This record gives sequence, structure tokens and C-alpha cells, in this order.
Amino acid sequence: MIEFSMPVLMLLGALVILTLCSAFSVKYRDLGFYGAIAALILASAAVTLLIPALIYYTAFVFAIGILNLVSLKVIKSVIQGVDYGLVALMALVTLYIFTTHNLALILAAFVLVSVPTYILVMVREGGTNVEVGIKYITFMVLATVLFLIGAVTLAYTKNAFNGLLYILGYVMLILGLSIEVGVAPLHEWVPDVFTSADPIPMSIIASLAKIVPFVIALRILISTSNSLTVSVTLFTAVLAAISMFTGNIGALTSKEHARILAYSTVANMGYLLACAVVIIKPEFFYFALTGALLMLFANAVGKIGFFNAIKGEGAFSLTMYLLAFSFIGLPPLIGFWGKLFILFSLVKAEYFWLVALMVLNSAISIPYYLRLARELGVGWKANLTNFICVAVVIITLITFLPDWFFRSMEVIAQAISIAI
Amino acid sequence: MMLLYFLILPLLAAVLAPLLKPKAATHLTVSFFLLPFFAILSCLFYGCAEVHLMTFSAPIGELYLSADFISHAFGLTICIVSAMVGLFALPYMEHRFVEMELSVESEFRKYIFLYDLYAASMLWLVYSGNLILLYIFLEIALITAFLLIYFYGYGNRRWVGQLYLIWSLVAGVLTLAGFLIIGINNDTLALKYIETVGRYAWPFIFVGMVIELPVLGPHVWLPWAHAEAPTPLSALLSPLTVGLAGYVLLRIALIDYSFIVTYRSYIFGYALFSSIYAGFSVFKQTDFKRLLAYSTVSQMGYILAALCLGPFGLVGVVIQYMSHAFGKSILFSSAGGIIAVHHGLRDVRQMGGLHDSIPAISNAAVVGFLNLGGILTVGMLGEFFILRGVVETFGVSTGSLAILLAVIFMFILSVWYGFYTIRKVFYGKPKDTTRKEISRYLYVPLFLIGITSVLLVFPPLSTALIPGLKSVIWPLMGMGGIVP
Repeated sequence: MIEFSMPVLMLLGALVILTLCSAFSVKYRDLGFYGAIAALILASAAVTLLIPALIYYTAFVFAIGILNLVSLKVIKSVIQGVDYGLVALMALVTLYIFTTHNLALILAAFVLVSVPTYILVMVREGGTNVEVGIKYITFMVLATVLFLIGAVTLAYTKNAFNGLLYILGYVMLILGLSIEVGVAPLHEWVPDVFTSADPIPMSIIASLAKIVPFVIALRILISTSNSLTVSVTLFTAVLAAISMFTGNIGALTSKEHARILAYSTVANMGYLLACAVVIIKPEFFYFALTGALLMLFANAVGKIGFFNAIKGEGAFSLTMYLLAFSFIGLPPLIGFWGKLFILFSLVKAEYFWLVALMVLNSAISIPYYLRLARELGVGWKANLTNFICVAVVIITLITFLPDWFFRSMEVIAQAISIAI
Repeated sequence: MMLLYFLILPLLAAVLAPLLKPKAATHLTVSFFLLPFFAILSCLFYGCAEVHLMTFSAPIGELYLSADFISHAFGLTICIVSAMVGLFALPYMEHRFVEMELSVESEFRKYIFLYDLYAASMLWLVYSGNLILLYIFLEIALITAFLLIYFYGYGNRRWVGQLYLIWSLVAGVLTLAGFLIIGINNDTLALKYIETVGRYAWPFIFVGMVIELPVLGPHVWLPWAHAEAPTPLSALLSPLTVGLAGYVLLRIALIDYSFIVTYRSYIFGYALFSSIYAGFSVFKQTDFKRLLAYSTVSQMGYILAALCLGPFGLVGVVIQYMSHAFGKSILFSSAGGIIAVHHGLRDVRQMGGLHDSIPAISNAAVVGFLNLGGILTVGMLGEFFILRGVVETFGVSTGSLAILLAVIFMFILSVWYGFYTIRKVFYGKPKDTTRKEISRYLYVPLFLIGITSVLLVFPPLSTALIPGLKSVIWPLMGMGGIVP
């Protein structure tokens, strides 16, 4: 029996506002934008009321969502205003993801974040990009199916333990996640889609859409872990290592900006997948969670900045350099803290070889990020692109010493497991 | 708290100086580095308390500013060198911007921001009482130095900038990995609470910092970076930044000296070899700035050698850092003076007899080499402590005599290449005897650094500094009481 308390009503209210505004936005484009913002504000307030410790997470997601919405202003898409609704829907789901412990809702969230990107990927100035869409959707459907079956199989083994089934479920879940976010060697679609789609929708797919799959995967894996987990995590660790190298080497040898960003995504997803091995030490899981979320935010703001710069044919060079340094992982920018906490958690999980590989990969990623910053950096001009870039740089700087975030994650990690 | 307010000034300079015109910005920078200099001097005599900043969750722990004599000694050096080089940089950078066909006023804003942030982050690094804070400032210094090379360097500056960034970053992350292991083992990274370093963390930190230092082998990046950087940056990079690796090693050694004891003979032998080999390499160089860069590698060998020599050697590390910083900042600045006056002249083969045209810079260079050679300057005390360390560590026997002689040869080599270079560059047959008019900014700061170095040999400065250093190092090395 659901109790309709105030925050729950607000959560639902946000969805209602969003639906109505999206429906009318076909006629009035601006209504979609303002409706999306109103829904985000309402949802953020509701989530914070429901779980006060989530306030910082909410603030980050809110900021990323707003930036994604604002950047959509740059293109005039054929789906007039509905694109705002789709982005806001993804943002809402990302906001809500920690508020439920129900497996069905969590899996629904996975689909809800995935599906809007099918449409967004085809958006471009005055037309649709069907070719890219088909390629992307094919992979995403495969990913979703693998992920859902894997998750359900894992949930089944929790109650009726069966070693073989557990391994099968684990592998399917990881493979599904890998295709969904683009972990090598299942990153086939990433470079193609990143280069041929419009930069603005890509900035959304590369930022907001990555958060939920990881959070869900981590939550399911930690809830279903058992004595076999220690041995199967090696599979994840190897995938993570492959992805880091593939991504960085791919980016080093690419020329096109969007392709560099595609491989940078592959590398970053490798770092993130490494967090999944920490489920073998649940008592230190909050390190991995902090690391993963900070890394996801770092990746998101960096991608928003760079993709907008590609679209706007350059952005203020200082912001480009700061984003590059954040990706490289130089303190005190957010990218550093993400990597630091991931490394902490890996040391705690005693995966020293993975620590060494991750450190090595941070070093080899330097040249291409600098190249990106140099080639995209131009002088200052007061325009929307620069406004977005300054905003993302502020986000990378506010985590100067993110103890507050770490402490809130310690609280969240206590109640992360899913009721199965 | 007083310390905190004075340390904030340099950071404030980074924000305020870009708002002013070049001359005013330079003067602001200089005064905002000199004020902490005098504050630290007063700390030497009257002491100051450490400053609590904030408490982070485990395993990071408390962030605070340490206020012991080791930090003061390094801080003192960084403040005076940064202030004086900042002064020297005014005519030099204006000249460089004109040469690069950039707008002087707007580029100077960018430059002075990076310069102040760079110097301030090094100052904060030596006062950081927490390894993670220390790492943050190490990397801010790295980014700003990289950008300065990248924007205003010579030759293939972009490539050199990246070379420097990659090597230093590899060094940095290896060290960070070591710090993380320390953090996990001790559940804190606050220096005063760390009890063990452990056999896993030490190798990471050691290898990382040996690349940063650097000694022979991983030194490939240094001659490039130091030679192609804009000279005011070289005059901070070589004297201040690389030696900070020695500072990190010193701090870690004071917590746990076992790694050094276990591998003492290997490290010591390597350090001596590196120093002597690099010392001989100086003779082969034709580019004046590259020549100085090789001398840096040689001098850093002193620091690594001193690290192996017990408590006396550790005092030697601190003093050697100061002496090298004073000497090398003077020398790089004098190289910059030659570049500015003689239109980019860097080739030693085309120099000779420069004393006739620029006597003030030539005299400053002599003071610089006196510092490196340890003659009449604070370097003298450094060499004394290193030799005392050799005797205390290896005892007095025929076997140890060979070691002692090798160390003495290392010292002599510095004097040797020093005077060889002076003769080659400033004396001999002059190629151009016309006396050049040069800006006072190009030589007065160098003499001020020289004077500081000489003053540090005599009381009351030396009598405050050296017992102070001993009072920090002796108890940590398990020696009771203060040895005169």
C-alpha cells in the first residue's frame, strides 16, 4: 500500500506537469522548455524532502539536466518542444533512482532512460537522422534485453541459489550494461554514432543517459552478491581494463573531435566499470559509489562542454583547458576526485593491478585531451555556448574538497540494496 | 592563524595582479611574496602555531598547515625566490611578448595570473599538513607551469610542454598511488597522525619522486623543459619545483626511514653516480640554459645522496635545497639577462667576454655559482651536513674514506664546472666590448637573492634555522636532545 505523503505527491506531480507540457509543446515550443524546468524543480525538491542525504546528488543531476535542456535551445528540431520533455523525463528518472527499492521500478527506470535517447539520437537541424537511429536502436535493444534478463536471473538466484545461473545472470547484466554505455569490446556503436549524430543530442546521450544504468547495475550487483562474486568480478575487471586501453588508444589515434570524445567515453566507462568489482567488499562500497558518481558527473559536464564547443565551433579556451584537466584527473577538479575515490575503493578491494592500469591510463590520456582543448579553444565571446561552458566549469570547480559529497554517499550507501 | 593570513596573500596576488597594469602587477606580486617572507622569518625566531583548516572523513583526515622548521625553511626560499624572479620577469616578459608579437598588456595579465598561482601553490605545498592537500598543490603547480611553457616557451614549446606534463603527471600519479596506500593503512593522510608508510607505499612514492627530482635515467624531460621554458619560469622550475620532490621524500622518510636504511647503499651509489655523470655532462652542453639544466640534475643528486645519510643528511637535504634554489635562480635569471640584452643569445660557443658588456649580470652569475659550489654561502652549511652525515653513517675506516672522497669529488665537480662556465661565458676574449644599458630589474633582484644566501650562513639566521631543523628532525629520527 503506497502512502501518498507530500513528497510522493510532488514526485507524481512533476511527472504530470511534464506530460501535460510535452503534449502541448508540439504547438508551443517554449511551453515544453518551461514545463520541463518546472518539473525538474518540483522533482528535486520532492527527492530532497524524501531523502535529505540525496541533496548533493540531486543538485548535480538537476544542474546537468538544466544544462542539457538549455543546450537544446541551439538546434531547431522537427520534434518541436517534445525533445525538452524527453530530456526532462531522463532527468526525472535519474533523480528518482535512489528513492525506490523495488526491482520492477528500477528496471522500468532503466528502460525509461534508454528509450528517449532512441528519439533524441535522430534529432538534427531540420530533419531526422534515421541511419544513425537504426544503428543506435539495434544496439540499445540488445543491451536492454541482455540487461533485463540478466537482472531478473540474478534476482532469481538470490532466493533460489544456483551457481551456474548466477554466473550467467552476472555476465548478461555486465554485457548489457557494457553495450548500453559503450564499454569495449562492445563499443562498436559508439564512434559511429558519436561522429554522425548532431553534437547537441550527443551531449545528452553522453552525459545524462550514463548515470542511471551504472547506478542500477551497482545496486543490483550489490544486492545479489554471494560467495561466487569474488571469482566472477575478475570478468568485470578484465573488461574494465580492456575498455580503458581501447578508449585511450582509440582517442590518441583519432583526428575528428567527436570521435575523440567517443573513445574518451569508452575509456571513462572503463574506469566506471572498475567500480563494480568493489561489490566484493560491501563495507567499502561507499567509496566506489562516491567515485562512480563523481566520475559520472565529471564525464557528463565534460562531454556537455566539449560537444557544445563542437556545435558552436569553439568555446572560450580557458574553459576548454579546465575541462581537459578535469578529464585527465588533475586536482582539485571533479575528475580527480572521481578517480581518487575509485582508486581508493580498488585498493580496498585489493585489485592492485587494476589500480596500476588505471593510473597508467590517466597518463596516456593527456595528449588527446590537450589537443581537444587547443583545437576547440577560441577567444571569449558572449554567447550560449560560452555560457554553458562556464557553467560546466563551475561544476568541475565546486568539488574543490568534496567531503560533503562523500559523507552524503556514506549515508546513501547504507540503504542502497534492492528488496528482492 | 597569522601564518594563514600571510600565506593567503600570494593566492590573492594571483587574483588581483591580473587587474593591474604590468608594472603595478609586478610590484603587487613582489610585495605579496615578500610579506610572507618576513612573516616566516619572524616564525623562525618567535615560532608560530599550526593552522587547522578542516576535517575530512577517513581516510583523508585532518587538513592543516604545518608550521615546523622544515616548512619554514622551504617556505622562506620559495617566497624570496618567487618575489625576486617576479621582479626580474617584468622587463624579460615584456621583451618576450614583443618578440612573439603579442599584445603586452593583455598577455601580461594571463602570464602574471599563472605565475602567481604557480609560485603560491608551491608555497602552499610545503605548508600542507595533509598528503592529499600536498598532492593538490603539486598538480596545480604542474598545470600552471605547463601552461606557461605552452604559451610562452621557446623552440618546439607545445611538444616540450606536453613532455613535461606527461613525465610529471606519471611521477605525480605514482606518488598518489603511494599516498593512497598510506591512507588506507593509517586511515588518515594527515602528516602528524601517519604512523607507518609500509613496504608497498614507499616504492611508489620513491619512484614517483625520483622521476620528479629527477636523477639520471628519468631525467630526459628536464633539459628540454628547463631550457625551452620562458626564463622566469625556468628560474622557478629548476630551483624550486624539482627540489620539492626532495621535500616529499624527506617528509616520508621522517615518518618511516626503514626503506632508505634497507636500500641505502644502492640509492646512495645511484645518487653519487647520477650527480657526477650529470656534472660531467655540463661540460658538453652548448646551450647555456641546457647547461644549467644538467647542473640541476647534478645538484639533485646531492639531495638524494643526503637523504640516505641519517639525521645529519636530512638537515643537509633542507639546506641543499635552499642553496641550490638561490644559486640556480640567480643563474637562470642571468641566462635570461643575456637573452634579453643580446637578442636571444643562448649558444655558449658564441659567448665569451660578456663581462665587458654586462658586468652586473656577470657578477651575479659568479654569486650563483658560488652557491652551487658551496663557497661562502648557505651551500657551505649544506655540504658540511652532508659530509657529517657520511661520517656518521659509514663510520671512519679505509672503506668509508673512498665514499668520503667520492662525495668530496662530487662537490669539487660543481665548483669545477661552475668556474669553467664562468670563464667560457663571461671572461676570455670579448666578442663585443660595447657596454650595454640594462634595466635594473634584470640584476638587482639577483643580488638580493645572493645577499639572502650569504646572510643565512651567519647568526642570527643560521643559529635560528639549524637548531630549529634539528629540533624537528632529531626526535623523529630517534635521537634525543638537541645536538649543537
